[in-house]
Amino acid sequence: MKKIILLCAAGMSTSILVNKMKESAKDEPIKYEINAYPISEALEQAADADVILLGPQVRFQEQKIRELLPEKLISTIDMKDYGTMNGKNVLEHAKRIMGDK
Amino acid sequence: MTFQDRFVNGLTKFASVMNNNKYFSVLRSSFARLLPIILIGSFGTLLSTLISNPTTGLAQWLPSLEKLGPAFSAMSFATISIMSIPLVFLVGLYMGEANGMPKYPSGILALVSYIMVVPNVVNITTKDGKVLSAGGLSTSVLGAEGLIIGMLIAIISIGIFSKLMKVEKLKIKMPDSVPPMIATSFNTLIPSFITILIFAIGGELFHIFTGQYINQFIYSVVQVPMQSVMQTNFGIVILVMVSQLLWFVGMHGGQAISAIRNPIFVAGLAANIDAVANGAIPTQPLTFGFWRCFVAVGGAGYVLSLIIAIFIVSKREEHKAIAKLGLLPAILGISEPVVFGLPLVMNVIFIIPFVLNSAISSLIAMFAMNIGFLTPNTVDVPFGIPVLFNPFVSYGWQGVIVQFICLVITVLMWIPFVLISNKEKVVEN
Repeated sequence: MKKIILLCAAGMSTSILVNKMKESAKDEPIKYEINAYPISEALEQAADADVILLGPQVRFQEQKIRELLPEKLISTIDMKDYGTMNGKNVLEHAKRIMGDK
Repeated sequence: MTFQDRFVNGLTKFASVMNNNKYFSVLRSSFARLLPIILIGSFGTLLSTLISNPTTGLAQWLPSLEKLGPAFSAMSFATISIMSIPLVFLVGLYMGEANGMPKYPSGILALVSYIMVVPNVVNITTKDGKVLSAGGLSTSVLGAEGLIIGMLIAIISIGIFSKLMKVEKLKIKMPDSVPPMIATSFNTLIPSFITILIFAIGGELFHIFTGQYINQFIYSVVQVPMQSVMQTNFGIVILVMVSQLLWFVGMHGGQAISAIRNPIFVAGLAANIDAVANGAIPTQPLTFGFWRCFVAVGGAGYVLSLIIAIFIVSKREEHKAIAKLGLLPAILGISEPVVFGLPLVMNVIFIIPFVLNSAISSLIAMFAMNIGFLTPNTVDVPFGIPVLFNPFVSYGWQGVIVQFICLVITVLMWIPFVLISNKEKVVEN
């Protein structure tokens, strides 16, 4: 079981994406737990995450999140995938970062 | 570098300064924690209007309900009228965290430092002109009037505390067998003591030399002028345009400017609630209710209106697909699918309506307030309530009408640009 955390301003728009990602994750060999939170709660909620993905609208906070959680894998979601709520692409992106096949 | 590159670079730099600056980031985190409770508190006013008020509430038919009035007043007192207390604690806590200090001692120390410099005696003038004094803190210390000075004291006190914590000589040497938790709490003792002493003496010196307390001074010299500049057409247009320009480069504008915007909004709401409690008419237009009902309707930049415009005139299949996908989120105030999917980010064709729509609608709402059709709100509506319902919560039916007018006008604003983007497609083919 691996944990993917999405962060955006209020955890609202990412939560739509989370649902799409969960649909895609059903057929995966590895189990993924996927959740969305407001970026202000990063420290509490993302401490045990395997990968942290930021919504593009808060990408300018990536540096700060890296400082807060220096050992984590952190990346920003592609704007187009985010806008079209493409759960499959974003899940692939997360898998690539974690090195899952 | 072209003008467009320079423009985008400038905005990106501005956003990253707003964001990476330690103090802005501390204030943003603090307000993110404070706002839910302010929102709940503002519902105290709503409940009082709907239930216990003898002319507008259920109490007109069931007079005994009037007895519940104090309960709803307590709800707004315990949240909004004392908001400076949790805020100072939170700013101290996040400031400590940012400086690598133990966070809870930092929060407590900031609060103690604040209380140290404000008057701890309340004077009451009786009807026959006698002045009575009693120990206590007045609402001007506890409530919105203390926001700016409270934030300043929290930041400065924890700044001093952090510096002192780095001085090795001030640390109490403990044998290695003492558990680290206990050693930390002892190590904060001397720096905390010195910080408190500085504020106790500093606050009193200010009082002796100027004849007033520093919180009263900062309130009248900084907070009042700042609020009176921002609570105007000019203020809201500046706030909205900066926020929208940031969205244009793909950044969450509202969040990036929140360190400046949020204190003004909560102070505005508190002043309105205060006015109603004293039987006056609320006068501060800008609150979170205003932002959610007239500025960021259907998501930042009236994205909902764009979706409607696309349904009406667009000939581009991919735009229609995104519009369908983004419709429900936009009704709930979430614009990201369209902002990033269409995209509106860096899309020069749509920049004019995307940046100007919220400013125009703000001015419409301000106009409605100036002519007395709309009254500034005392109830802030939570995020995620559908359009046309959210203004009803904050402003009643008048708000629904104003928001509807704003929606119609912004749809008309979007239509010519959707038509232009139809042509763009033809050129591409």
